[in-house]
Amino acid sequence: MKLFLLLATLSFFVPVRAAAGEPVEQAPVRLHSVQADFLQEKHLQILVRPIISTGTFAFQAPQSLRWEYRKPIPSILLMHGGKVRKFVERDGQLVEDRRMQLDAMQVVLAEISNWLDGRFTDNKMFSVSFPDKQTILLTPKEQGLAAMISSIELKLADQVGLLEEVTIFEGPGSLTKLIFRNRILNQEIPVTLFTDR
Amino acid sequence: MKLILLPVLLMCLFACAAGKQIRLPELTAIEDVRVDKGCEAIFPRGSWQFVHAIDFSMQDGSGGTVIGVTSLAGDEIACALMTIEGFTLFEAAYSKDEGLEVRRAVPPFDKPAFAAGLLEDVRVIFLAPAAENVRYGWLTGNAPVCRYAGVDGRTTDILPAADDCWQIKTYTSKSAMNRAIVGRSCQKRGNSLIPEYIELRGFNQANYTLKMTLIQAENLGAVTR
Repeated sequence: MKLFLLLATLSFFVPVRAAAGEPVEQAPVRLHSVQADFLQEKHLQILVRPIISTGTFAFQAPQSLRWEYRKPIPSILLMHGGKVRKFVERDGQLVEDRRMQLDAMQVVLAEISNWLDGRFTDNKMFSVSFPDKQTILLTPKEQGLAAMISSIELKLADQVGLLEEVTIFEGPGSLTKLIFRNRILNQEIPVTLFTDR
Repeated sequence: MKLILLPVLLMCLFACAAGKQIRLPELTAIEDVRVDKGCEAIFPRGSWQFVHAIDFSMQDGSGGTVIGVTSLAGDEIACALMTIEGFTLFEAAYSKDEGLEVRRAVPPFDKPAFAAGLLEDVRVIFLAPAAENVRYGWLTGNAPVCRYAGVDGRTTDILPAADDCWQIKTYTSKSAMNRAIVGRSCQKRGNSLIPEYIELRGFNQANYTLKMTLIQAENLGAVTR
């Protein structure tokens, strides 16, 4: 889960150069912040129709993140100053969920800085390929990870620097698609967005 | 990959826990066909798919929230668990002919006992119990009940008119309660009575609670796959 979440986050930063047709290692683009709405479609073999989730997302360098689901289960993940907190709606109220281990999230968070620094192809977990100018394909390097995620496809919008879709393929008939809308780049975001629910 | 989620769910289903056992209560038997019909009516009729938000917790306070999918078509059951973020943790199907097929199970959900326990929870909630015989009657407090005695010695009590919806209680062959399920805010959908909220308390080898809030109920008879 954490991997998925962070990949979705990180992927905002990758396409900037890929869309411009430049090698990933060159001319790093420094994105300070990203905000967007997202629609998430969960497809499963047994589902007659996808489960639709909606929410918003905000990231600000170096390591502040807010990932918020509004429907169907309101929840907020906050990362700021090295701390990770998660709030989930329970009995009609958003309450902090201290029951889950969040250390893995922090580990993956560290990856963000790598992406921001343009070290995309250095990724330890995924091989990267570019089937076309608007698509980036991530394939797990390790067998253990490949058993859970077969590949991740990033689709770029026409506008350079913006990501349109992320699709995480888990296996036959099972995928999660994130579609981003209303993206805002490099606008200063108040810290409270990353600390307060 | 480090998965943060839910080793606790597995533990909560299969770890040991000490606690006072609730025993099978006495039944005052009656012959009332209305009770029988009420008990049959609590189970969804036909083919359905349910999506629930599941908040689970165990005795020590650990737990989490996942999304659960349950598909019912006759004796066939399929179910899946995923994180709120959409990562599939577990997917399995069961039919009488094919048995249990686990399609995906991310550690720690890859233990066979977890699949069996989860499917059993689903069966108890959504399918009428297979019974050697059924008795009808009243429990203390004048609650009407259908008591299903299974061939394996286990007993299932169905209270079709409890808490504005229904209750199901299951007992081991030694008459100790191992599941108590309460449906709330039942809504009539076609011929079926669908609870908006289900709470399952398990007392198997552990005490655990599943609070299931309905997100989506789909009558598959009206859907083309």
